[in-house]
Amino acid sequence: MNENLFASFIAPTILGLPAAVLIILFPPLLIPTSKYLINNRLITTQQWLIKLTSKQMMTMHNTKGRTWSLMLVSLIIFIATTNLLGLLPHSFTPTTQLSMNLAMAIPLWAGTVIMGFRSKIKNALAHFLPQGTPTPLIPMLVIIETISLLIQPMALAVRLTANITAGHLLMHLIGSATLAMSTINLPSTFIIFTILILLTILEIAVALIQAYVFTLLVSLYLHDNT
Amino acid sequence: MLSRVVLSAAATAAPSLKNAAFLGPGVLQATRTFHTGQPHLVPVPPLPEYGGKVRYGLIPEEFFQFLYPKTGPYVLGTGLILYALSKEIYVISAETFTALSVLGVMVYGIKKYGPFVADFADKLNEQKLAQLEEAKQASIQHIQNAIDTEKSQQALVQKRHYLFDVQRNNIAMALEVTYRERLYRVYKEVKNRLDYHISVQNMMRRKEQEHMINWVEKHVVQSISTQQEKETIAKCIADLKLLAKKAQAQPVM
Repeated sequence: MNENLFASFIAPTILGLPAAVLIILFPPLLIPTSKYLINNRLITTQQWLIKLTSKQMMTMHNTKGRTWSLMLVSLIIFIATTNLLGLLPHSFTPTTQLSMNLAMAIPLWAGTVIMGFRSKIKNALAHFLPQGTPTPLIPMLVIIETISLLIQPMALAVRLTANITAGHLLMHLIGSATLAMSTINLPSTFIIFTILILLTILEIAVALIQAYVFTLLVSLYLHDNT
Repeated sequence: MLSRVVLSAAATAAPSLKNAAFLGPGVLQATRTFHTGQPHLVPVPPLPEYGGKVRYGLIPEEFFQFLYPKTGPYVLGTGLILYALSKEIYVISAETFTALSVLGVMVYGIKKYGPFVADFADKLNEQKLAQLEEAKQASIQHIQNAIDTEKSQQALVQKRHYLFDVQRNNIAMALEVTYRERLYRVYKEVKNRLDYHISVQNMMRRKEQEHMINWVEKHVVQSISTQQEKETIAKCIADLKLLAKKAQAQPVM
């Protein structure tokens, strides 16, 4: 039994050296590149998936927004693979660390905002006031819009962290519940085990969905600002 | 890249060397080494089409073959797992059930959708190959069509002499026709001229005849004197009387 519930979320170190760097660098090893036209099945399916997601994501942007396509596609692939790898037993998920998610969210969000302010300053400032507000409400609404803009990177980072961490915690808890119940009452163990299986399926979905949501929101901010 | 930095530093230090900055990229290219190894003189052996056989998706077949003479690999595996469990090298914890559920879901997914994904990937590759094959076939077809057209053209050329014969005949006929037309026209013209001469001659003769007759008549009339005329007329009257008597003598039938 781990010493506490959050032991699996400690950033792993090997003799005091951060192994988290190696863990973060591991997922690209699972996505091979190839210079051939006809590849093995792994590369073929991966290339097809990447082509599908990139087409889906980047059609709504104009030429300036499409310069971000490499960034966004690599972002969604990184988050998806990291989340999915974190479902394996005894593995460490970097996206559970708020520091890493903040490091991803703040530069991307700030990049879109600064790009918007540099190129189309009137449009960027116009986002602070929705259309058709009655005149007395304007000062309050500007403040509210500013706060909602400044909260976007926090929301991005915290959303991803909270979802993945909560999922991992739930799996851990229900696993320990089955462990405890196995000595007390065997049939209920199977019930709880079924719940665990359903939760696993949910976690897989959540892993993919969170990646998608993160990238989609960044792409939305990009669309507003190009 | 450092060579570029060196060059730009040198340019700032000595302005006369500023033109040397244009050599920067060339120097960079010269310092990179390409194609230093020997080129392959024989065809490089092709990559194997399928990877090595693997059991359970993780352990290569060679591992099993290596172990078979000495010990059964499954027995080895079971023994290792039981040893780790009993000596608590591997502790059953909450993670165990999580691992069981995750691995169970993964195995179920792979077993159920594995062939589908494999077929899909194969289909994608098939499509790529089919596209290229289509291009090749289209090119071959195009060339084949060109060859067939060329052959038919050659065959037509062989039969071209019929056309020429017909044309030659036509032209010969036309020439003949024009020749005969002209001949006829010549004949007509000549006849025309000759007819003219004949009619001129006829007319002259007639005129001469008439003139002669008139002359003769005139002279005869002139030559008849008044005495002779009287005598002639009296003789005619006497003759007529005689004839009348003779005529009267005839009975009326």
